[in-house]
Amino acid sequence: MATKILRHILRLPSSHFMYRRWESSNTKVAVYDPFANKPKKNKDTYLEAIKMFENQDNRRRGHVEFIYAALARMKEFGVHKDLQAYKALVDVLPKGKFIPSNIFQAEFMHYPKQQQCAVDLLEQMEDNKVMPDSELEQMLLNVFGKRGIPLRKFWRMLYWMPKFKNLSPWYLPDELPNDTLELAKMAIHRITSVDPTMKIEIWQTEEIEACIDKTWIVSAQSETQKILLSEQPPDEPLVVRGPYEVYLKEQVVTYFTLLGKVRPEHKDDFDQDDVSNLKKPSGIPGFIGQTTLPVVKCTVHEQDDGTIVAVCATGSSSRDSLLSWIRLLEKYDNSVLSNLPVIFTLTAPSNDVVVQETQPAAEDVKRVQN
Amino acid sequence: MSLLKTNVITSVKYLRSFSVLCRKSNQDHHLKKCPILFNTQRWLFWERHRKGGYDTTIKTSNWEHLKNGLVELKHELKLFAKELKELYDMDPLLIARPGEIDLLWCFNSPTVLEKFVTTCDSDHGEGYSSCNLEMSPAGRALFHGYLDTRVPKDGRIKKAGYCAMRSKMQRKSFKRASTFDWHLYNTLVLKVRGDGRAYLLNISTEGYYDITWNDIYHYILYTRGGPYWQVAKIPFSKFVLGSKGRLQDKQTRMRFDKVTHFGISCGDKIVGKFNLEIEYVGLEFDPTHDEEFAYEMYKTDKYIVAV
Repeated sequence: MATKILRHILRLPSSHFMYRRWESSNTKVAVYDPFANKPKKNKDTYLEAIKMFENQDNRRRGHVEFIYAALARMKEFGVHKDLQAYKALVDVLPKGKFIPSNIFQAEFMHYPKQQQCAVDLLEQMEDNKVMPDSELEQMLLNVFGKRGIPLRKFWRMLYWMPKFKNLSPWYLPDELPNDTLELAKMAIHRITSVDPTMKIEIWQTEEIEACIDKTWIVSAQSETQKILLSEQPPDEPLVVRGPYEVYLKEQVVTYFTLLGKVRPEHKDDFDQDDVSNLKKPSGIPGFIGQTTLPVVKCTVHEQDDGTIVAVCATGSSSRDSLLSWIRLLEKYDNSVLSNLPVIFTLTAPSNDVVVQETQPAAEDVKRVQN
Repeated sequence: MSLLKTNVITSVKYLRSFSVLCRKSNQDHHLKKCPILFNTQRWLFWERHRKGGYDTTIKTSNWEHLKNGLVELKHELKLFAKELKELYDMDPLLIARPGEIDLLWCFNSPTVLEKFVTTCDSDHGEGYSSCNLEMSPAGRALFHGYLDTRVPKDGRIKKAGYCAMRSKMQRKSFKRASTFDWHLYNTLVLKVRGDGRAYLLNISTEGYYDITWNDIYHYILYTRGGPYWQVAKIPFSKFVLGSKGRLQDKQTRMRFDKVTHFGISCGDKIVGKFNLEIEYVGLEFDPTHDEEFAYEMYKTDKYIVAV
């Protein structure tokens, strides 16, 4: 019997008595959600709902629950990247009441629910890459005082976030354009930035009479690539590879590459340590060694899975638009394409293809003719 | 007595404590038999599990252990012989050649991939991401998968969405733990071909004490995307110290002789496929880079930082 009673006592969570205070607010109470039935979901209505909450009760009861509800609905209203919305939420917290007045309060997390709520708010800002400013710092200081946990979080954010903000070597604006053509231009510009002589051109497929798919093509080709393409032997086919994806923040752009044959590595038999026959070339004073460039100049385009001859993105990513791309390349300065076979290795047409295809989905060789 | 003990242990088990000041009891006792991991205990001063409660040990019988041991004995002896030979040769690398890259891993054969382990949140039922490390069509390592930030609705997990690859533990013969020694170098060099996403480079420097078990130095690897390879050279001085993914207030330089793991992870909160092709990971000594640590290390006011 005694063991039974003991077991019963021990079965109770040990925190039950000590931490009853924390658990009391865990009980699920249906909270009135002022955001649920807003007809229009935008920033104005969001701020309006916050104002309504502030005005309906000057003691602001249930503000922690309100802030959590508001944080969860931010994405819905499209304000999750808006600093002003976060500031409006911090403004809901009463000023002065939560500032600890002695060291014990400061050390033992004065008003823990409220502090945790503010920390969660800041965390959501951090996740959405919203940089806080000094006004928010002042607001938090007025609410929690300088010993508050949210202030520590805030200072950490203000210390680290600017350090990482502009770290990416490929600059992207804060707001990406909505236009797919603009996005494609940015993406192609980014992925071809290895070669500074790269020329990006925008073509319309209407220029080719036989085309079915009327769309745009962003094509990139440098002078070097033109030379590499012209050296392609006529019996070896070019390959169109893709679709590949490139991310610009959340946006995805599909692109295709035109690959030539793998070029042999340049072999330099010149023995650099051989000093038996040193010649000083005329015209370059003080220079010892070879002055002529190697026969096969190594470029970034020659990779060991093929030589990249051109890169493109099209409006529909369909096979027909790619065929138009090859024809447009031929039209603009790549006359060698008229007698080169081109293989299209698109495993399956991408989902936004408009054109009806009759060919089998496997590899199909199309001889480009004009 | 034994009864009392077990009961205490079970009642402790269902008590989640994030710190001494904030505790919460698990109400989901019905999940007891569920294979989902419960053990998110974090006491303030002491950590029980090296893996933070994620039990990844494969349970084998003693007989299996014996059999596996005999199979591995051959391999270990070979390793031991190699170590002895190295000791006899006494030919350590004393100076790094500036401008030359010493490769840690050159991903040109499937055997190199076996030195890595991939992890994602769906492995522990904490999310829906998936990832894989395979050979690419170009004959390199391809770390690819699908990143999903959906959170499982179990009321326990707040965020999800990560995929990671990490090198296996560095070890000497007979399963003795060892570390990398990178003190000759000051730059990490990677040749990669990415998809425009940002990846995180992780260099773990696990120590002996429990507070250092989760020390990882992070830096971001931005990828250009596209068909061209890119070589990223990142000085070690730029790496920031984090523990369990949180940047630490008190930053310190990396201990180059205590590096235990190297890893790359993808967790940039962008839902979708990711592809990172890696040709090599190497180390270089760059004499022009004399920065020791890129971040401020001045003293701040009391009770503000690292409390």
